[in-house]
Amino acid sequence: MSDIILKISGLHAKVAEKEILKGIDLEIRRGEIHAVMGPNGAGKSTLSSVLTGKPDYEVTEGSIEFLGQDLLAMKPEERAWAGMFMSFQYPIEIPGVSITNFMKTAINSRLKAEGKEPMKAGDFLKLMKEKMALVQMKPEFAKREVNVGFSGGEKKRNEIFQMAMLDPTLAILDETDSGLDVDALKIVADGVNALHTPDKAAIVITHYQKLLEYVRPDSVHVLKAGKIVATGGNELIDRIERYGFEQF
Amino acid sequence: MASNSSEIDHGNYVPVPVTEGIHVPDGGSYRKVFLNELPEKGFVVGKDASLDITVVMLPGHSAELPLTVDLMGEGSEVRLAGICLCKDEDQVTIDITMNHRSGHCKSQQIFNTLAAGASKSAFFGKIVVAPDAQKTEAYQENHNIVLSDEASVNTKPRLEIYADDVKCSHGATVGKLNEDEQFYMRSRGIPEEEAKVLQMISFVAPILTHVGDEDLDAAVEAAIRELA
Repeated sequence: MSDIILKISGLHAKVAEKEILKGIDLEIRRGEIHAVMGPNGAGKSTLSSVLTGKPDYEVTEGSIEFLGQDLLAMKPEERAWAGMFMSFQYPIEIPGVSITNFMKTAINSRLKAEGKEPMKAGDFLKLMKEKMALVQMKPEFAKREVNVGFSGGEKKRNEIFQMAMLDPTLAILDETDSGLDVDALKIVADGVNALHTPDKAAIVITHYQKLLEYVRPDSVHVLKAGKIVATGGNELIDRIERYGFEQF
Repeated sequence: MASNSSEIDHGNYVPVPVTEGIHVPDGGSYRKVFLNELPEKGFVVGKDASLDITVVMLPGHSAELPLTVDLMGEGSEVRLAGICLCKDEDQVTIDITMNHRSGHCKSQQIFNTLAAGASKSAFFGKIVVAPDAQKTEAYQENHNIVLSDEASVNTKPRLEIYADDVKCSHGATVGKLNEDEQFYMRSRGIPEEEAKVLQMISFVAPILTHVGDEDLDAAVEAAIRELA
């Protein structure tokens, strides 16, 4: 089993004919947590969109290998099956679809793709209950329509709940701290930490250092104008806090 | 391709003759689900009665479906609901006339259409509230999702309100399946086609939930899979 989970090489990407990413190199190994920080417009969302295969984002140069596979040739659902998960900055509301049905369909779709039988109803409900408790979601949320009428904090907790259900090898947390109060932030961070094991990795994309006080990264990258302009350890977070992104 | 227009008519009320329809007697109730058809005659509803009709048009069926309901006595409730699943060359027209001839009645219409292939579907919904039909409540909704560039949908609500103490509303929408929802579902490992099926099932769910028949749910889900 290779140690490398994600390898981004010379990545250029554009959206709506505008080049946003201008040559990104990044390697992530098992057990590592990487923080990607940067000012607004640096390309952070574009990076997460390209990683998850969002339509309308076009890679013009470079490659991404995910667990040895060519990520860019994979559909978004295939990326999920392979073990990638993104916690959305703005989770989408899906009227008419309950969280239970949503998660059941997601898990059974992966099992089907792997040629396996669907999960037994009892086992599924037990898993739901266990993972909802992890992020302190009330049991009645199981019947709620996905994200419909949720507060900002409830939406983010629902993201981490889904992450816990799907048990990804690589978790991408896209501005997960935005719009969270301190209590919700702590619940989310505790969830992320609980799910992080030595065979997994995470990318924490953020604008502020807030979440990084709870989820400590092994490596910090500064993304600015579509390029990684600095890489370091936790001392980089303090430098950013003190001097902002202007210094880079 | 879609068009949507409506008008509120405050002109002179010209009563049309009452339909030769199926009678729902005073205090009576009539509840039925029709598959791929509607009764040729309309419905004449007495007082304190209830009428609850659901029509489901499965793919592969074309029809002109005119339906007139005459509310003749006070205190009655009518619900008309429909799901149209159209594909290929299907042509379905639903043409409702809801005549509130007596006051203190409530009518509700909800018709949702999924239009695939080169199908043509239309919804004409007329609500007529007679001058002395005070305290009428009449609601109408028609929602359409167009699944292909070749499919066409026409929706035309028409309210003729001659009484002044009424609550009436109509809403018509024509749109596509939401792509942000699809991407969100796909990012969780739900294949694109399955994501569309989930969206379409949730679109018709308010009508199916009201009927509460598992066999009908299964038939509609199977039909929706044909459209995905």
